[in-house]
Amino acid sequence: MPPLYSRRMGEVWITGVGLITALGPDRETTWRRLVAGESGIGPLTLFDPTGFRTRIAAQVDLSGLVLPESRFPSVRHTSRASRFALAAAAEALGDAGLTLSAEAHPWALVQGGGTAGLFEAEAFVARRLRGGPLVRGLGEFVEVPQDAPTDRIAQALNITGPRITVTTACSSSTIAVGLAAELVRDGEVPVALAGGTDALCRLTYAGFNSLHAVDIEPAKPFDRRRKGLSLGEGAAVLIVEDAAHARARGATPYARVLGYGVTNDAFHMTQPEPSGAAWERTVRAALLDAGVAETDVDYINGHGTATEQNDSAECAAYRRVFGARVAEVPVSSIKGALGHCLCAAGGIEAAVTAMAIARGVVPPTTGFSEPDPECPVDPVPGVGRNCGIRAALSSSFAFGGNSAVLILGRVA
Amino acid sequence: MTPAGTGVPALLRALADPGFQAVLGLPRPDAPPLPVAVCRDFSTANVLAPLVARRLDRPSRLLAVAAREALASVGDPFPWERARVGVTAGTWNAGTSALVEVLRTVFLSSPEEAPPAQFPSTVANAPASQLGILEKLGGPNLTFAEKQVGGLRAIAEGARILLARRADAVLACGTDEGDWLNAEGYSRLGSLQTANHAGMVLCECAVALVLAREPGPSPVATLAGWASAGTPAPPHLYPTDPASFVAACSRAIVRAGMAPDDIDLVVSMANGIPPLAEFERGALTALFGSHRPAAIGVADRFGDGAAAGTLRALTAALTVGGTVTPQWAPLPHLREVGFRPPTARPRTALVTGLAGGGSSLAVVLTAS
Repeated sequence: MPPLYSRRMGEVWITGVGLITALGPDRETTWRRLVAGESGIGPLTLFDPTGFRTRIAAQVDLSGLVLPESRFPSVRHTSRASRFALAAAAEALGDAGLTLSAEAHPWALVQGGGTAGLFEAEAFVARRLRGGPLVRGLGEFVEVPQDAPTDRIAQALNITGPRITVTTACSSSTIAVGLAAELVRDGEVPVALAGGTDALCRLTYAGFNSLHAVDIEPAKPFDRRRKGLSLGEGAAVLIVEDAAHARARGATPYARVLGYGVTNDAFHMTQPEPSGAAWERTVRAALLDAGVAETDVDYINGHGTATEQNDSAECAAYRRVFGARVAEVPVSSIKGALGHCLCAAGGIEAAVTAMAIARGVVPPTTGFSEPDPECPVDPVPGVGRNCGIRAALSSSFAFGGNSAVLILGRVA
Repeated sequence: MTPAGTGVPALLRALADPGFQAVLGLPRPDAPPLPVAVCRDFSTANVLAPLVARRLDRPSRLLAVAAREALASVGDPFPWERARVGVTAGTWNAGTSALVEVLRTVFLSSPEEAPPAQFPSTVANAPASQLGILEKLGGPNLTFAEKQVGGLRAIAEGARILLARRADAVLACGTDEGDWLNAEGYSRLGSLQTANHAGMVLCECAVALVLAREPGPSPVATLAGWASAGTPAPPHLYPTDPASFVAACSRAIVRAGMAPDDIDLVVSMANGIPPLAEFERGALTALFGSHRPAAIGVADRFGDGAAAGTLRALTAALTVGGTVTPQWAPLPHLREVGFRPPTARPRTALVTGLAGGGSSLAVVLTAS
């Protein structure tokens, strides 16, 4: 097979991170608790879980969110998913030292689109299905489109560059970061806000329950006893910036975006190709795109959903790529602490990977304690671990066979 | 697949008919039908095996049938390794009907009875993913959900995939289904046409274009340039300031190596909503100055949506490629400022999209 990719990403840095998770309403709280091995998974209180098989989730506490100041008051009355996105965007810009002016900002917005305002719209759907009136208010429908949170960020922060909303289920925001880096590399914009947001709702809660893909206990990624995922919610925004632009304004980078790979396994809507061969192709495509050798990879932030099929197929892919070295490269799944945040998951994981590179600490796989021969990796049990990282993978797999792998690296 | 019927021949017949207007009417529970142009004669017979068709939801079936036609058009043997063929798709509402069915069970029966077979179809990327599975296409498979701009985004990002050599060919698609939840929501927002109120018609359709780098099979047209921008606005409203949109059009034209005066045809994005018509009139007069390319309306005949953007691009490609000269006059807001229907074959076309919320995208197509 000919080489998949031929262009290099060039100097694209991550200069800011905003994180909203069940562990905290900001980046630093999330990081501190994540590295300490704490879990954000607990009783679901967002809606009544009566009748559902499971009753837990990694739910965000809205009370701690800091929303950006905006000339549009309406952005303060947005959906849960949009509030996560707005808070994450504001935090990321502040972290990057990019100040907002009254002028328009010609930056790109590349976001992974998830359920958007579906949680709020479910009340409308329920009412209509029960024969109730058409609509009481307009607000419950306005944010149903999956790009509504992206629109809200643009509206609140006066962003006028390209606005892209990718929706490939659980790999959405991984791809968003990769696309954002391409926009920057191609010179279309100097700065892109990349990431994604997703909020818990009855649809996904019922759907994953119907597939028996959720564990009634908190998820245990890569663990022999794993019985499924825990659903979560949250948002991440990463400031993806041209290195020359960042240097000129004295920004401090977390990491470089070295490249990414995205393929489809063309196998099944909900199950990964089990041998790991398809996922291997994505990893190899990403390594080739980044110009990184397997031996340069010091850390993998895995997809690690804690379903039987995902974790074994994922580890099989790593075994195929890294050979005997697979047991030496730390592979952590932060879904054991943050739940599976679906379309936001990849962005959150990319953000954590960038922080791990900058701080020389890899987060643990919370929930893991019993090794599984099917998953012969080092899942970093317990708490975070010091680890110098030259290059790292942030790996995602999604419904429909859409896998994406980002390669981030240390800035020299 | 369009409201005109199955396949490109049905589209060509419609474009050649000055009086064509899609038939409207989407039924819904306990209320009058909604103004949606649906694919009334759609069938998967002779295209998909029944066992395959029945596991796909409607937008996936629509797209699968359109994609079969597109793939067949590049000839036999298939010129690329299927693992190196990608899919990009734009959609406004794929997954909505499946979503409603899952929620129907949750709300009217019990959450534990939610149908596992339907849940995977609730994700908007289901049609593109099902297409990948069905045709064994292993390249990047991306779906864009950007309301009216999604279908054009699929074309632009398909081109980016090709330029980055992430694939050798890309099926750039759009697919939208007629669904009552989406239509009812926009009806409630006052966006849809009624007997007493100007507004948009929604379009159910699926369109698939094969994008490939040269050298390749004989092309219909060349994708010469594209660019996008945004103007901040609430998600359900169009912006009023066309400056960013005009800038995106200008960048797309420059990227194509041309100037505005080189554009022969504009495929109008106007969909019947008065503020969009006003926006388009202001934008195009600012972009073109005294130059007046020919213009045609499409969204006012077929309706609007994400896939309708891909359909506008297909119409432009067929027109600059010399396959058809559309007989569809533009809406009055463009005629009033001098934009006329084409009388000769245009060689270059500008196709634009603007979504509620303010995201915009422009592509330039030229005769190959």
